[in-house]
Amino acid sequence: MEVEVVGSDSYGCSAYKTLFETIISDVGKATLIDKTKIILKPEIPLFIFSIRLINKPVNKVISDVASLRQEGNETHLSISDERYAPDILSQLWKNYGRDNVEQQTRFDLVVINGKEDIIAELQVSSGEEVKKDIIGALWRIMPEGIKVRHSIFDGKVITVIATEEIICPEMVKEGSTLHKSLGGVV
Amino acid sequence: MFEVMMYDGGVYRSEELFEAIEDVGGVILQTTRSAQILTVTMSIPGEDKDFISKVCQSIGGEVKCVPLAGTEIAVIGCTLGRHHMPHPICDIAEEVRQYGGITAVMGLARGRGKNTSQISAQEKSIIEEYDAAVFMLGNFKNCIDTKKELFKNINTPVILVCGPPIENFEDNCEVVVSGVGRKAERMKSPEEMKKLQEIGDAIDEVIKNKKTMLEEDPLFIHPAELKKLLEEYEPINMSLRPAPIVLHLDSLRVKISYREHKDYFNSLEVYGRKLKEIARVSESKIDDSSTIIHIKTLSEIEYEDKGKTQ
Repeated sequence: MEVEVVGSDSYGCSAYKTLFETIISDVGKATLIDKTKIILKPEIPLFIFSIRLINKPVNKVISDVASLRQEGNETHLSISDERYAPDILSQLWKNYGRDNVEQQTRFDLVVINGKEDIIAELQVSSGEEVKKDIIGALWRIMPEGIKVRHSIFDGKVITVIATEEIICPEMVKEGSTLHKSLGGVV
Repeated sequence: MFEVMMYDGGVYRSEELFEAIEDVGGVILQTTRSAQILTVTMSIPGEDKDFISKVCQSIGGEVKCVPLAGTEIAVIGCTLGRHHMPHPICDIAEEVRQYGGITAVMGLARGRGKNTSQISAQEKSIIEEYDAAVFMLGNFKNCIDTKKELFKNINTPVILVCGPPIENFEDNCEVVVSGVGRKAERMKSPEEMKKLQEIGDAIDEVIKNKKTMLEEDPLFIHPAELKKLLEEYEPINMSLRPAPIVLHLDSLRVKISYREHKDYFNSLEVYGRKLKEIARVSESKIDDSSTIIHIKTLSEIEYEDKGKTQ
């Protein structure tokens, strides 16, 4: 994760770089971020955070993270991406009940009376959730009083422009320029 | 003059220490017991300090220096939001406790923001109840310059802790400790711990100055002596709150309602005088669950006596 901070206060810039790295790691999203550019102008005040993700956040279904096989009235699942194991299990419990889901090993599951094509399409991760978590982390990093915010989303790039009272067109323009510099489209 | 010290040792033979404190006319400020470990913060007459130290050593404990014992310090953040709490405010409060002080952590109701931050008169009067106030601000010099208005005209010494080094703050606070801005994790590296010690030393220096000023015009009675009298009152003695009486340099916080116990406070006799003659007794600005007894100085009482005779 590359972090570039530009601002008028050198102490504040280095402190906010550390804050950004700590909080993003705390929320567990550091591995999703490719590059970050931050503009800090406390004298206005204006704070712009622009993040480029490694991949565009998309919805993930069970077939994306596990292989499935139908045998009679049972469907066998083999989880290939461990991160999604708890979400898969909770989705199966929700849809088929605990009695119908057998966990043979850590990654191998059997669903009794489950149809392969229906299980394959169950959603285990939402792209919107990822965006929501990252925006939440950005709000946590920004100073508490900087409450007037404007966000720009575009594929892999997320930009948040924040100030204390009124967001002026110049602020949005500056935010858009930063957004474009990371490959985003406004 | 009473001096404050702390015993840190075992429970075994601790009765001997309690008896020795009583014999010299000292007061126990706080006792904390954890399994077989006991810490006792006590206030004893200066001339008996060596005797008590010997007693502590003879029962296998050690005497620790607690320069801030007998004080109550407020550590104040701009708000109680997660942007300002818990670090580094709680780290500073913990450091003050290590120095022997009692701490109160508070957040202002509208302290966030650069141009919109405010402090109310009520908040100021609550802060003034404490011996000193540590204000914690952030990382931007520009914001700190604007926010210095928050602690202007507070009638208690203010220690400012902030990120960047700043100048020209003499009118608003006593000391500035820079190098500690907003943080999202505990201050546990050697440099950070050194910084916490610097903050503790700065508070100690401010308290020493306040003590010197008080010595120039001494109080009618030392708060520790008054504490001893107050402890005989059953509602205080039976109180389950962790520290029913908190000592300040020139006052006491008694954690019983002023309105409910007004008659007791008015009738209490201290060295042949009524308490209301030698102290200003009022309910705390926080709420009525505690009472503040602000002890008058000898010269103040003398002046009032002259006024009465005339």
